[in-house]
Amino acid sequence: MTRKLSYDLLAFAAFMLVIFLVVPTVYDYDGFELNTFARYLSLAIVALALSLSWGSAGLLNLGQAATFGIGSYAMAMHLKLRASDGLPDFMAWNNVETLPWIWVPFHSLGFTILAGLLVPAAVGGIIATFMFRARIAGVFVAVITLAFLVAFQLLVIDQQGMTGGQNGLTGLAQLNLFGWEVDTYSTAFYYLVAGCLMIALAVGLYVSHSKFGLILRAIREDAERTRFFGYNVASFETMIFCISAALAGWAGMLYVLVLEFASPTYMSVSFSLAIVIWVAVGGRESVIAAAIGAILVNALEGRLSDVFVEGWNLMLGVTFVLVVIFMPRGLFGLVTSMIKMATERVRIRSHRPHAIKPIKANSQSEGRR
Amino acid sequence: MSQLVIEKLHVEFGGLRAVDNFDLTVEEGEILCLLGPNGAGKSTTLDLICGKTQPTGGSIRFQGKELSGLLEYERARCGIGRKFQVPSVYKEMTVTENLSVAQSHHPAMWKALITFGRGDESSRRAVLDRVGLIEKANEKAGNLSHGETQWLEIAMLLTQDSKLILMDEPTAGMTIQETEKTADLFRQLRGSHTLIIVEHDMSFVRRVADRIVVMNRGAKLAEGSVAEIENNAAVKTAYLGH
Repeated sequence: MTRKLSYDLLAFAAFMLVIFLVVPTVYDYDGFELNTFARYLSLAIVALALSLSWGSAGLLNLGQAATFGIGSYAMAMHLKLRASDGLPDFMAWNNVETLPWIWVPFHSLGFTILAGLLVPAAVGGIIATFMFRARIAGVFVAVITLAFLVAFQLLVIDQQGMTGGQNGLTGLAQLNLFGWEVDTYSTAFYYLVAGCLMIALAVGLYVSHSKFGLILRAIREDAERTRFFGYNVASFETMIFCISAALAGWAGMLYVLVLEFASPTYMSVSFSLAIVIWVAVGGRESVIAAAIGAILVNALEGRLSDVFVEGWNLMLGVTFVLVVIFMPRGLFGLVTSMIKMATERVRIRSHRPHAIKPIKANSQSEGRR
Repeated sequence: MSQLVIEKLHVEFGGLRAVDNFDLTVEEGEILCLLGPNGAGKSTTLDLICGKTQPTGGSIRFQGKELSGLLEYERARCGIGRKFQVPSVYKEMTVTENLSVAQSHHPAMWKALITFGRGDESSRRAVLDRVGLIEKANEKAGNLSHGETQWLEIAMLLTQDSKLILMDEPTAGMTIQETEKTADLFRQLRGSHTLIIVEHDMSFVRRVADRIVVMNRGAKLAEGSVAEIENNAAVKTAYLGH
């Protein structure tokens, strides 16, 4: 086992302890507070999804909100169907007389969950295939995914009869999970979301510690070189886009459960950029750090946006600029460099007896460093 | 049958004929040195073999298989490895991780997805031992000296274990001792691997080359053993300009 892996497992265990024990205790198992925190946890999943493509492979996907939105709409469609007898109310207002074929299979929860994972993965995969087979990289990936996001949001708003347009999907029923009526203000629901985050984190950790993750890092550094070792770079890049998109879709489904409505703002440019900020603050190289970044920034936003209604966005922007300038590797970079400094200090201290010895021994220990 | 057969190879960059009607055959297990003045098309020839550049005409056959039209990674999978003139290693990764990337006997994406961890440790240590980087196994590649970086890239190619290895100036920036060590290593590879080496250092070429091909202005000028080339009048003219 490499040292990096043991650090990550340690961080994973500590994070799990905090999420499963400390947070519920601090909030005194209060349903309302835990519901708010569950919202942060679902956003942590979309942040870790972005860190997989951006942090590992260096592909900045500014369209992450689109795949998040697809997942959220999939879940909202299911809950809307459960809430209505036959035709959902907004369809009647839009003179839609029969249920569109695309809505029909969403009666089934199994199909909904599969669709919430696989449709985003397919959408991500299709865009990625076109981009990466043409060897598009760097800032152009960001531009293309951003353009796709804008077009996709317009499409969703435009198809009012099918998507509820600007209003989104509201008046949703509660989820019935194997006979359990999910009360989103219960502790059990909080643990459901927390469990999902942990599984998503485990997936992310597996990916980054697999050979696949290593090749992604190789691609980030020098895609050209990696090709000459026999790796089909485009297929690796496409796959990480699919995985990242599926996780984003999963996060979207949970997000709808927490908030009990779906809105086209989930697919907005500002939401997509917000994800980038969370990941940058946490540190894009580590999935755990990205998740923590999302939780921290959102918790701060929850507290501060009440106090500074107008100024909050400005503060968020300034934070982002400061992070990019002074902590380009985010909190993760800060913590790792502190650990490094601490171990270095311990090593120097343990070397001190040699330093008193004649000059020869001293120069040897210098050379070793 | 020869391992590599190049026929009438041709490439133009905006009117400039970098490689012009070039023929070359390479036998399995031999060490071939490509010589020539600057701009003779040596590196371009290597680029054409490994797929970095696509030819405008001619054919390259490796073990009977036509390479033109294949992408870089497909050629690498056929058994062609490449060392670049500017040492290109992954600077942000440790030496061990660099070798893990090079360990690419199963380069398919799905295979990588189900492989956890860093792969075969013992073979990596053997290679590091061979090139003398064993002490630096956990060092970041970016912290290595220039000579060590060259060694690391050679170690990566040994790990990749390609049948045909293309080396572009492998000893550039090395000390005399390091160069000698490289020559020894290359001679050990003779027989099991085919090497095509672009090199300017004649003492190095004398030590390793089975055969020399001299290029000038994209075409083959002379071909033969070390002694034959050193006494070739046309080669002297090309190098000295008289």
